[in-house]
Amino acid sequence: MAGTLETALVQTLNGVQFGFILFMIASGLTVILGILDVLNLAHGELFSIGAYAGIGVFGFVIGVVGPPSGVLGGVVFVLAVLVSVLLTAALLLPVGTVFEALFLRAIYDRDQVYQLVLTFALLLILLDVKKFVWGNTSLRTDAVYSAINSIPTSELVGLNYPTYNVFVILVGIAVVAGLFWFFDRTKTGRIVRATAIDREMATAIGVSTDRVFTLVFALGAFLAGFAGAMAVPPTAATLGMGTNPLVLSFVVIVIGGLGSLRGAFVGALLVGVIRSWMITLYPPGEIAAPFAIMALILLVKPEGLFGTWGETA
Amino acid sequence: MKRTEPTERDTGGIGRRRLLSAIGGSAVAAALAGCSTLLSDGGGQQSGDGGDSGGSIPEEPIQAGLLTFTKGAPGVLGIQAQRGAELAVQRINEAGGIGGQRRIELDVVDEGSNPLDSYNQFIEEGKEVTFGPISSGTHSQIAPEVEKNEVVNVGTDGTVTTLYEETVPDPTYSFRFQNYDIMEVVTMAREAVERIGADEIETVAGVNPGYSFGEDEMRVFKQAITKLTGAEVVYEGFPELGASDMSNHITSINSEQPDVTFSSLWGGDVTTFVRQASANDMFDNTTVFGTTLYSAAGDVPADALAGTDIYSGSRNYYWGHPALGNWQPGRELFDAATAQDGVTVPTAHYMSGYGAVTAWATAVEKAIDLLGTYPSQGQIAQMLEGHGFFTPAGYHNMAEDHQGSSNSFAGAMVYDDDLGAARLDDVNIYSAAETAPPPGVAGSAWLDSWSS
Repeated sequence: MAGTLETALVQTLNGVQFGFILFMIASGLTVILGILDVLNLAHGELFSIGAYAGIGVFGFVIGVVGPPSGVLGGVVFVLAVLVSVLLTAALLLPVGTVFEALFLRAIYDRDQVYQLVLTFALLLILLDVKKFVWGNTSLRTDAVYSAINSIPTSELVGLNYPTYNVFVILVGIAVVAGLFWFFDRTKTGRIVRATAIDREMATAIGVSTDRVFTLVFALGAFLAGFAGAMAVPPTAATLGMGTNPLVLSFVVIVIGGLGSLRGAFVGALLVGVIRSWMITLYPPGEIAAPFAIMALILLVKPEGLFGTWGETA
Repeated sequence: MKRTEPTERDTGGIGRRRLLSAIGGSAVAAALAGCSTLLSDGGGQQSGDGGDSGGSIPEEPIQAGLLTFTKGAPGVLGIQAQRGAELAVQRINEAGGIGGQRRIELDVVDEGSNPLDSYNQFIEEGKEVTFGPISSGTHSQIAPEVEKNEVVNVGTDGTVTTLYEETVPDPTYSFRFQNYDIMEVVTMAREAVERIGADEIETVAGVNPGYSFGEDEMRVFKQAITKLTGAEVVYEGFPELGASDMSNHITSINSEQPDVTFSSLWGGDVTTFVRQASANDMFDNTTVFGTTLYSAAGDVPADALAGTDIYSGSRNYYWGHPALGNWQPGRELFDAATAQDGVTVPTAHYMSGYGAVTAWATAVEKAIDLLGTYPSQGQIAQMLEGHGFFTPAGYHNMAEDHQGSSNSFAGAMVYDDDLGAARLDDVNIYSAAETAPPPGVAGSAWLDSWSS
């Protein structure tokens, strides 16, 4: 694969794939920030719990389905993986619900520093919970990554690109479409947006803000868990894996605009692709690239590319 | 050049008198060398008085501290060092303790967060010796503190070349057991030439951890391989520690198709890299030579290694060489290690922990033999300089410059179904004289002096 054009295409695809993983993480963070006005420092830990739990769920579901064989077997296997990811994310729904109802609800009226301290405390608690449940060492799921890669996709068009990465991109597109559909087209989504735009007015017309807030925090946890399960097959679940995604998610939502779902989508792809190109053209700039983009955006447009939550998601 | 057959020293063909003399002659030294079988028939006759020095040795246990990674991706190798140190301490205690009466109590602390604070906490708690760390960055931080505190530290790893050339150029209390960066990197540069041939290596690339260790290793490799082959460096990538996505670096290597790709990735990062490289067919385009890839021996799955082309170093210890049937101390260590929690096979980092404790303990025993009393920190440090000792890995020397040196191992990394882990095939051994600069010569100056 020495062709310059092919390399450029694959590097861009690498960036898009990384960007979609970032979006899956950042979307939960930005939805919670935009609607609840809470910066959830424990979001990275919810992501990593998704990764740990995903390993167990993958093992169970794939144990039932078996390895892919033939076209039909491949389709069944991919669907089984998708179901596993959704099941894993669903496990985070009660976690998010309990966090919001038990802890956060009591301090909405207080200064934001209390929320930061509380979510940081939750981060530390979750870190210890992971250590208690899954131990200190890293965990992997070996079956998913190699099995999905054994299904030919990009090879059919003469490209050397792992099928799992194609899978992440396709699922990422579905998540983006699903979220915009939810917030723009469903009654519940419109209620959530209305609550975000004017909390008092929403209450006046009979919206239960408590229920909306619980729903939104649970949705954020669901998205974090979904991202964790999608991200873990090519790598490993480790105790510290929540830190970097949390930091990069902050970068993404600052670039896109605090609380803007549209901004998170554009910011995530921007960070993913530019980071990818930076590694290609100047590898030492890998770590600095996302922060350089953020600094540039803050200088040119301090409110971020799409501002905050508003009439549109 | 390389030796593929074990020497008398490696295989235990060494005479008992010479062995006892070299290891200090005490029960502790014999236990740590793992040569109880070799010494069982009257070895005690040669023993010095380190085991029975009586009243001049304090009775209270020795408080020792070990700084290592105990969790996360770095824990893959940090726990190996911990288990190695724990086994050495267990053997010392079972042999009656240091000086025949001082048991060691080892306190293990995670190196992952605030390691300098953890080290200073050890000192405040009155630890008489500290071991570790694993990370080069941490080692550069704590070595000056070690000198300030005047309490002996025997580093398990933290193998950055500049430690005793720039950070602490004239150390007194800081020592390092494991072969350092230049040794393992030169080993792999020689291994690449050995496997592929100098004339066949025209281009090289590197994927190394994005911090001081990885940068140091790539710098040394470029210098060595350029001298050995005249190759051109076509790509250098430095993913951050614990990176979940290395596909950009892999795509760049696929694009450049270098003859050799050098990597000093370690622990969990090795598995991530190898799995993603396999998925991207990277091994169709290059051969990977790595210094510490084998640190992931128990972590990397079989399917990830299938069809790969990887050669790894194993620093100063590879459990399978000499063959376990030919080297009883190696067999005993392997059996003891694999019975421990978290050790699938003992790697070089296992020996880092085991050897660091052994270096210190055998030096203290030797000092007790000479002095007839328990030595001070300064006397222990003096005794460690130029100290020779045995472990189940073979013979080691702690040079006057405080850097340990031993033979280095390298071989093809393959998966062993029976073992349930990776092993090295077709192992080559490189002596310290082939991989390390002469005493008093800086690494880069030594490499510069090579004729192209």
